Amino acid sequence: MSVISDIVAELADDARAAAMAPVESVKDAKYTLEGIREGRVSPATVLKTAGITLGAAVVVALLLFPLYWVAVGAFSGTGASLYSSSGIRLWPADPTIEPFLWVIGDLIVPSYRISLGLGGYEVFLQTPELTFLDVSQYGVTETSEFKRFFANSLTVAIPTVLLAMCLIVPSAYALSRRQFIGRSKVLYGYVLFTQIGGGLGVALLIALYALFVQFGFNDSKLALSAYYAATAVPFNTWLLKTYMDGIPVSYEEAAMMDGAPSWKIVTEIILPLSKAGLATVFIFTFLTGWTEFVVAQTLLSTDNYTLPVGLYSLVGRYSIPWARFSAFALTFAAPIMLIYLFAQRYIEGGLSFGGMEG
Amino acid sequence: MSVVDSAVERVADSPVVSKDDLPLLLVLPGLFVFLAFMLFPVLYLVYLSFTNAEPATLFQGKEQWVGLANYVTVLSDGQFWNSMGVTWLFVATSVALKVLVGLGIGLVVTGERVRGKRFMRALIIIPLGLPGIFTITIWRGIFSSAEFGLANQFLRMAGLDSVAWLSERWMAFLAYNVTEAWLAYPFMVIITVSALQDVSEELHEAAMIDGAGFFARFLHVTLPSIKRPVLFASILTAAASFQQFLIPYVFNQGGPSRTNELLIVYGYREAFRFQKYGEGAAIMLVAVAVIGVFMMLNVKKGQLADGVDDA
Repeated sequence: MSVISDIVAELADDARAAAMAPVESVKDAKYTLEGIREGRVSPATVLKTAGITLGAAVVVALLLFPLYWVAVGAFSGTGASLYSSSGIRLWPADPTIEPFLWVIGDLIVPSYRISLGLGGYEVFLQTPELTFLDVSQYGVTETSEFKRFFANSLTVAIPTVLLAMCLIVPSAYALSRRQFIGRSKVLYGYVLFTQIGGGLGVALLIALYALFVQFGFNDSKLALSAYYAATAVPFNTWLLKTYMDGIPVSYEEAAMMDGAPSWKIVTEIILPLSKAGLATVFIFTFLTGWTEFVVAQTLLSTDNYTLPVGLYSLVGRYSIPWARFSAFALTFAAPIMLIYLFAQRYIEGGLSFGGMEG
Repeated sequence: MSVVDSAVERVADSPVVSKDDLPLLLVLPGLFVFLAFMLFPVLYLVYLSFTNAEPATLFQGKEQWVGLANYVTVLSDGQFWNSMGVTWLFVATSVALKVLVGLGIGLVVTGERVRGKRFMRALIIIPLGLPGIFTITIWRGIFSSAEFGLANQFLRMAGLDSVAWLSERWMAFLAYNVTEAWLAYPFMVIITVSALQDVSEELHEAAMIDGAGFFARFLHVTLPSIKRPVLFASILTAAASFQQFLIPYVFNQGGPSRTNELLIVYGYREAFRFQKYGEGAAIMLVAVAVIGVFMMLNVKKGQLADGVDDA
């Protein structure tokens, strides 16, 4: 929990800095104006700086324009974006959240009737129907399969994280703190795979598919999770190991002096001190399962499609208007982007080779 | 490493740890699962490439050993050499584009007169956090020939005719390149920016005093100092380009009519579209071998260059 509170504190700092930024720049501008008036700064220099900064801002805006364009598309009414006359829109024509309603669909918990037999009497409990969102009220009759894909993705990603953590954490500890036969060989192999093995996934797909079919594992989400966990092992083990290397040995020595058993040293010292590393590994392994496309698409059948495969299945389906497609894509990608942005500093902390700050 | 090694030694010397083989048990599960899903398929892929496996035979255990027949078929297939050529062309053009774009943006966001550089850098690397499949499906939408296609809207704004991007060979190839450049630019920018920040200020000042203009300074001061990291990044990104699968696959399955099938897409389609597992396996292994040799040559050459620099 303290990881989360740390992140929240850092976010608050960021927000404060962002809120103060305009104030600071107004101060700067005032100072510059005074400088010009008093003749300390030449107006030409100021103009040059302003011009170049504006140019740089235009470059940044052009680079990110595709993302903005998707957002505009997602908030456009279906009719407007399909039949719009030529020209790039900077603002959605006829802005609406209808596409997002189509993506999310109804959020209704149906009522359940529970009957209890109490010594001859029967007692019925009727749970109320909970309606969080009923899209038919907004005129959306058919909805996307987002919720099913989402559930599938969760049932793939959660076992991936659990299995990967079980494999990674003990290995990382042993590789960081113990000496044993083959230690350097394992480490070397993991690092080598991290460097060159990234593209091996698609190349291996034929063999992987053939094996999965022969073992009867194709279309099994659990087997897919095991595969994701396996691919996540080398990089994340190495990452966590480097992080644990940064924890001073003196803490452990002190605990040993006090007679603490080794398992207690691990649970009371090593794990609490590597929480940033653990959080990083957690996010990375989760995203492995959440965003992988090629293997999932080859192994899973339509019923078990995860979100990336579901997104791809909408591509080129002409019955799906662009507005709905962009809304679907954004609903899939925006949370990942937010996690990435918010956790960026934390991830960098975990990636920095064994910093103890934070 | 010295910190680590001493850590290991001191812990190992302590009276608490006495059994030497116990820590290996902590590593074995991870290693086992990893090897089961990685090494075993590699071996199986090698085996498949020597058989006539296809779904009808393989899943009944009736595939037959055909020796090198698959490799002979593949290497004498014009389609394979077309893929090989297109793949290397893609590596060349996309790496050039990525280096230029990365360098350009890197220079813009480190420019001394630019205000708000940190903010701009934070914005610019946003695409790094996006899932690949999201980015690529969106870019497919950009190059769509439908009304909403952004690329065609730009062309129309410039008074040009629309282009059927994904059904013309070189237009599709251009679209791959642009998308690849957008996918990879955050990585290139991060490397370039950190390299640019290490360029010595003194050299720049000395050159300025000698009357060197912006371009002369860029050519003779900046470029030589950032050559090494940028070269390193280009090698890594070249490997990524060589293995590119998602862009051609999502855009038009390597089309039109199989002209733009990059090597990995070609192997994938031979196996899953045309049901020739044996040939697909052979193609994949050839691709892995080629990229392996390419990387090894680069590493060797990089080290050689290191020695030259030191001398």
